[in-house]
Amino acid sequence: MADNNNILVQVQDLKIHFFTNEGTVQAVDGVTFDIHSGKTLCMVGESGCGKSVTARALLQIVHRPGKIVAGDIILHRQTSHNQTEEINISKLEPKGRVIRSIRGKEISMIFQEPMTSLSPMYTVGNQITETIMLHTRVDKNQARERTLEMLEFVGIPRPDRIIDEYPFRLSGGMRQRAMIAMALSCNPSLLIADEPTTALDVTTQAQIIDLMQGLQKDYDMGILFITHDLGVVAEIADNVAVMYLGNVVEYSDVYTIFNDPQHPYTQALLRSIPKVTATREKLEVIRGMVPSPFRRPSGCPFHPRCTKAMPICSQVEPKTINLNENHQVHCLLFDDSIKNPVREMAS
Amino acid sequence: MTGAILQSQLSSPSQNGKPLLEVHNLKMYFPIVKGLFGKISGYVKAADEVSFFIQPGETLGLVGESGCGKTTVGRCLVRAYKPTDGSIIYQLADGTNVDLAKVDGKELQTYRKDIRMIFQDPYSSLNPRMNVFEIISEVLRVNNLYSPKDMEYQVADIMKQCGLRPEYMRRYPHAFSGGERQRIGIARALVTSPRLVVCDEAVSGLDVSVRAQILNLMEDLRRDMDLTYLFISHDLSVIRHICDRVAVMYVGKLVELADANTLYTNPLHPYTESLMSAVPIPNPNLRQRQNRIRLEGEVADPSNPPSGCYFHPRCRYAQEQCRLETPELRDMGNNHTVACHFAEELELIGVRMA
Repeated sequence: MADNNNILVQVQDLKIHFFTNEGTVQAVDGVTFDIHSGKTLCMVGESGCGKSVTARALLQIVHRPGKIVAGDIILHRQTSHNQTEEINISKLEPKGRVIRSIRGKEISMIFQEPMTSLSPMYTVGNQITETIMLHTRVDKNQARERTLEMLEFVGIPRPDRIIDEYPFRLSGGMRQRAMIAMALSCNPSLLIADEPTTALDVTTQAQIIDLMQGLQKDYDMGILFITHDLGVVAEIADNVAVMYLGNVVEYSDVYTIFNDPQHPYTQALLRSIPKVTATREKLEVIRGMVPSPFRRPSGCPFHPRCTKAMPICSQVEPKTINLNENHQVHCLLFDDSIKNPVREMAS
Repeated sequence: MTGAILQSQLSSPSQNGKPLLEVHNLKMYFPIVKGLFGKISGYVKAADEVSFFIQPGETLGLVGESGCGKTTVGRCLVRAYKPTDGSIIYQLADGTNVDLAKVDGKELQTYRKDIRMIFQDPYSSLNPRMNVFEIISEVLRVNNLYSPKDMEYQVADIMKQCGLRPEYMRRYPHAFSGGERQRIGIARALVTSPRLVVCDEAVSGLDVSVRAQILNLMEDLRRDMDLTYLFISHDLSVIRHICDRVAVMYVGKLVELADANTLYTNPLHPYTESLMSAVPIPNPNLRQRQNRIRLEGEVADPSNPPSGCYFHPRCRYAQEQCRLETPELRDMGNNHTVACHFAEELELIGVRMA
């Protein structure tokens, strides 16, 4: 897309299926997007739309019975001689040596609930030094130095005390800061943040978002930020991918998504949020609910809830349409090859 | 009847302009127990001298960061907790008053069907071993409110009103989605035709589109069933959407109370201002604003709060007086009360308008 030099990760036609006893769930069904270094891509969507699974695929930590069945995840990795090599993560063995050298080093991840993702059995310092010693050639003392540096860097007060505390002694915001310190301890080029502020208060959320944005500037990191909070998206995103039932239904820069959304789902989603600036009026809702993953609607998966659905929407799966260079939409309304027959049918 | 019931001077029922619920100096202290012999080493003051009232038919919002005591206040109102001190004057339908903080046992049970609660998590608040009919009708059975035949009719009726299909009455909660489960929770709260409903983060766990459906449903039900809501949430946009008046809490104390519009556009307490400033606005064009307020540090420890005004260590306007004296809630006119020494002098910024 716009700036090909800075591409960090290219995801192409990624498909992840979950093979359960009740049937196959197409959790991610052909997703394509790019992540650029120094930029933030926000992935939004309701629960079950496949945004977390997509993120986990980038680290090859999709848990069973999920499996990447098709598609490429190309990581552009800096080698020591200032050159880039391309690694296809989707082809790597989940427990192999290569992916383990990438996890926590090139790509690291912070999770929604910091209490469940930090081990309760080890001190904060222990867990961060472990990551550092795994990926860099330093001894214990140097790793501890670096840990202290990181803790201070993410704004933890009195890092020399906190480093020997167990996670349960820290508040939610502090734990999330410790998670961020751990994620950034090896200078990753991509940070995946899976709903990192959802469990936090607004004031803490604002602190964490400020912190992440500051760090991104300092390190020129790419961020994949997963959230369902459109306010947060408006605040931090450069690009936005809106997901619905395993598809990216619309992809563009943040201004286009908020000011000129094209896909009916994006439009409906934006209309259904209560705003602090607006007064009491009835919220517009998207009718019905997200369908069960086992009963995926035919054609366009959004058609049963779409206000602009045409008869053809239940029969034909929409293709991704380029509206312009940096605006893709996954909807039959914009497919010129389809439009005419529909009009004829209607008239 | 005990002495807790006070005969109201006004004889006209309910429509006498008196509040449905008046809370005076409500205190809920939880003891910190140390050692083998259960020695009490201190108290967590989860709610400390909280006073407010709720008029019939209105929605009062209660906001604050986690640990500020908003849930504790809600639980005191439904008497899940027995308050340490203070009074909760509830006005019955016939115009008489009763202090819910003082009554107990059998007598309290008669008011339980009037004040109901909706919980946050639609997954853990429904018993997976009971089907929907059993869940919703449990309160009717316990209180002997209907004969078994009427009960089924009643449950079907409330399910319909809450947007659930009565045919699914014999299904178990696992068969429902998050939004539908929340509807079951609402139906359970409303089946007794309550007068006051305490909604504790009732929409916080829901997706955007489902949240909009539930908010609309709650608004419709409020109109149709003459309900009064106490709406507890940390989400300021939801509070703005549904509430008439809003109370802000910080470390167990009420710091500001005003009607929603005034509070959002013209806050008088620095804590309210910083909360408003932290709300992300879903409009990227407003992103490059200056002077956003960032609160430093963390919420104070309610077992060991700071001296003076609890907010002073994080307040950017704090002065010597704030460290020494605890500010009282003061009426600034127009039912706008605030607990800040400098409420008159400070010029605070409300929510950033689009």
